[in-house]
Order: sequence, then structure tokens, then C-alpha cells
Amino acid sequence: MSSESKISLHLDVNNGMDRVTELVQTRLIECGWRDQVRLACRKALTENNDKKVPTVDELIAAVTPKARGMVPDSVKKELLHELELILVNVDRAGYAKHF
Amino acid sequence: MSLVGCSHLQLYKKNPKNKESFKWIHAVFVVGISNKCRKTRICNSYCRVCKKRGPYLHACLECVFFGCMKHIREHAKTHKHTLTMDLIYGQIHCNLCGDYIYDSDMENIMKENKMQSGTFRKRLFESTSWYPTQEERSHLTSKTKKICITPESTIGLRGLINLGATCFMNCIVQALMHTPLLRDYFLTECHKCKGKPETCIVCEISELFQEFYRGATVPLALDHLLHLIWMHAKYLADYKQHDAHEFLVATLDVLHHHYLESMPPPKSSNGNVDEKCPCIIDKIFTGGLQKDVVCQICNGVSTTVDPISNFSLDVSPITSDGEQPSLIDCLEHYTRVELLDDDDKIMCSKCQSLQTSTLQQTIKTLPIVASFHLKRFQYSEKVEKIEKISTSITFPEMLDMTPFIGRAKKESPFPSDNRYTLFAVINHLGNSMNEGHYIAYVRQQQDFWYKCDDHVITRANLEEVLNSEGYLLFYHKHVLSYE
Repeated sequence: MSSESKISLHLDVNNGMDRVTELVQTRLIECGWRDQVRLACRKALTENNDKKVPTVDELIAAVTPKARGMVPDSVKKELLHELELILVNVDRAGYAKHF
Repeated sequence: MSLVGCSHLQLYKKNPKNKESFKWIHAVFVVGISNKCRKTRICNSYCRVCKKRGPYLHACLECVFFGCMKHIREHAKTHKHTLTMDLIYGQIHCNLCGDYIYDSDMENIMKENKMQSGTFRKRLFESTSWYPTQEERSHLTSKTKKICITPESTIGLRGLINLGATCFMNCIVQALMHTPLLRDYFLTECHKCKGKPETCIVCEISELFQEFYRGATVPLALDHLLHLIWMHAKYLADYKQHDAHEFLVATLDVLHHHYLESMPPPKSSNGNVDEKCPCIIDKIFTGGLQKDVVCQICNGVSTTVDPISNFSLDVSPITSDGEQPSLIDCLEHYTRVELLDDDDKIMCSKCQSLQTSTLQQTIKTLPIVASFHLKRFQYSEKVEKIEKISTSITFPEMLDMTPFIGRAKKESPFPSDNRYTLFAVINHLGNSMNEGHYIAYVRQQQDFWYKCDDHVITRANLEEVLNSEGYLLFYHKHVLSYE
């Protein structure tokens, strides 16, 4: 098993994925990132000069790079810290065994 | 409003079996309803092509297949499958239409599933759109008067008539009415009363907020509120001058109890009522005070944490440099290490005897609104009565509480922002507790200060506020932390 898939399995069995998602979601909403992305989407839609309305996929493709760049460093740092905590604890408690 | 998805979805919906399987996939993979589903979800939530868990994992609604954004689209193309569902929010994608589609029938199924999900997921899903009811719609069309709120606007300022030595109540009400979070709570009508009508003091406060912020300027008489408080806190029921601090404590206490009565907290899964009270008063005003008692013999520490909604500070702390004492000095005094010796020895549970100990109070959890009570009224043994101490205490507009919180919090890797801003000050004018007059300074719209002297409200400025004597000081937290 590659280390990447191992990590993602670890995150899943320990409910870590939910914890991490919750953390990131909350932080992104609280720091205003979601509102910024919403505005960016709106802008992309209103400034769109094509006759056709872009699909969600096209919108995602257009906004994602910008949105990624807008994630504050503090959120990234906290995410990293949280991941570290979860993975260290998983190793210690050996949750994967019960699975 | 009824949304109808594309014709391909309508065709899919015709078969009741399809709807069933859609509901099941949504319940297990999007909502994750029960723990049993968790295993299924975890074991299967990966792209069948690249083995990764994302990004944007989708499930095919026409066969058993999972794929990430890239591979699900490829799968739909090559197998000529039309409908897929994204597993984060449960949106349905139609490959023939080339976009996500929205359909009321399917959304209702999803809503049903979401209702059964845990608290966090529920919160994620909560941001649904607002469909105004008939009543709300008629309000929107009939009430077309627009009020423009400029920085200079005086909406929210109301004078309060003195009903005979009730200035202690008036000034507390002014402070409460200008507590930002409390105002937001009541103006968004979050209080859904289940108690007896006409007797609920929370409803009374709720109506007061409406009255304050509706833009009228005639002074109000708080006779109903006074009556309700008299009924619940009997010791305040006379026409004497009372202490504003005493009234604040009583009011918060009555409000807190009414909350529990009118909106009983949901019982947690183990049948016990959650320890932390969910009422808005506790959420805003209550913090935790930690007391550490250290035995000087065995170094054993005993720690207790009590809820605290009001910090009563001594006004005669000793300043090292002989300067005018400030609120910071009072707080340092409040959180100092105290030696308990001689008559004050404390029973040490480890030594099983009375021992010399040290006691230190620190703030474990900060309340959102920190209210400080400067103990200006103290019993003097010299004259055998309560005297007023008029020592001037300086207090800042911005206060950082970091030095006064417990060590564990201070050392967490993520520095928390513990800054507070002054938003209301209550002053006592006069020389003794039983006479004199109370006035309040309140902050309006960030930078404007007003002096509320019963029914007279005049413009003030920050300098005037900071130079006033100060009896009760109200500070609001800058950054709200997560629950």
C-alpha cells in the first residue's frame, strides 16, 4: 500500500477525515474564505461574455486556482497540526487493527 | 418553489427502484447516517480507476461505480451512463446535459436523510435557501419604509423614564441593549418561547429590543420589566435606590432561569442535561474561573473551576510605581498568588491536615462579554458603615486578557486572540451607596458614544468615557472562538 492511501485509510477509520473536514470547513467559513469564493464565482458568472452559461464543472475549473490561493496560511498550518495529531494518535492506539 | 430537473432525470425517477437506490446511496455516502454505514462508506469511498479518495468523488447512479471528478466523467461517457451523484453535497450530475441539475423531489429525499444526520453534518447542510412564507411575503410588500443606517444614525438609542429611583435599572438595561451579540440574538428572533405568555422575562427583553431598535425616540417606561423582576427577585421589590451591580447579577440570573424554563435544553444521549448551559445569557456572559490551591508542604495542587459572569475587582491594589492604578493593576491583583497562612490555612487532602497554601485565581474560559465590577462600596470598620471609595481607576478602550488566562491555554500552539473592546460603562454619581444617581455610557456603531441619563441622551466622546469614574465596565470580545 502506498503511504498516501495508507494515510487516507488511517484518517477514515479514526473518524479523522470528518474531524479534519469539519475543522477546515469551519475555519474557511469563519475567516470569510467561503464568501470570497462565492463572490469570485459570481464575478466569473457576471463577467462571462459567452452566450452560454458555464457549467458547474467549468466554473470549478475557473475558480479553483484562485480559491486555493486565497486559503489563509493560518488555516493550512492548523490543518497540518491537526493531521499530525491524528496520525500520531492512530499509530499509538493502533486503530487499524480493529478494523 | 418547485424545481424540475432535466428530462433524463424524470425518466430515471419513473422507476421507484431507482429512487430507492438513490436514497440509499445518499444516506450512506453523503450523510453517513449510522455507524454501520460508516464501514461501508469508508471501504468503498475511493475512485475505482486511480484508487484515490478524491477530489470530488462521485457515485454512478446506474451501476456500482465510484470515481473522482475526472474518472466519473470518463465512466459516464464510455458506458453511456447519464446520472451521477457527487458525494460531498449530494448534487446530481447529468452527463447528457453536461451539468448538475436540481430537482425538488430528489431534494426532498435528501432532506429526509439529512434530518437524521449528526450535528456537524447538519450544520454543513443548514445553509439552505430562504423561502419566505406568505406572511413574510406580505410584510415585504406592504412595509416598504426604508431606514438608512448611517454612522451618525441614532437608531437604538432610547431614553428611559425614571420611575422613582430606578436609574440603577435603566442603566443596566441600556448596557444590555447595546451588547452586540445579545442584540443580534434578539433582533433575529431566536427566542422561541414555550413558557407562559406575559410572564416570561426573556420575551420582555425581546420586545424591548424591538422597541429600542424600531427608530422611535420617545422615552420608554420599563414598568412591566420592573414588575417582572420584582416578582422573581423579591428583595429588589421596593422603591429604594438599589445597587446597579446587584441588579445586573439578579437580572442575568433571572434571565438564565427563564431560559431554562421557556426553552428547556435538549437532553443529551445519556439522559443527562448537558453541563454547559445552552442559554444565550450563559453563552455570552459566563466564563470559567479556575482556583488553584497549592499546599506548601507536599506541593499538591487542588483545582476547581467555577462559572463566573462578573468579575468583582478590588479598587485599592498597590501599584509598584506609585502611579494611578489601572484596570490592568486590578486584574493583576485579582489573579495574584495569595498566601494562606495562620488562620487561613487550608485542609490539604494529601497531608490530611491544615497546611499553609497558596491560592491563585486565573480565568480558564473567557466569556464573550467581560463585565467588571469595581468594588467601590466597601464596609469600613472605622465608621462602621459602607463607604464609597472614589479612587480613580484608569481603564483602556482595548483590553488584552491574555495575561490573566490559565497557563494551559496560553501555551497552545495557536495563539488565541483575547482582545476586548469597551462598549458600555456605568457610573455612580454621589457619595454613598444609598443615594446618588447612576448613568450609563454606551457605544453605538463602533465609534460613537452616548451618555444615557434616564430619559436624557446626549452625545459623548471616548475621552469623556475613559475619564469617568467607572463602576461597571463592559467589554466585548473581538474575535469569537469556535464551540
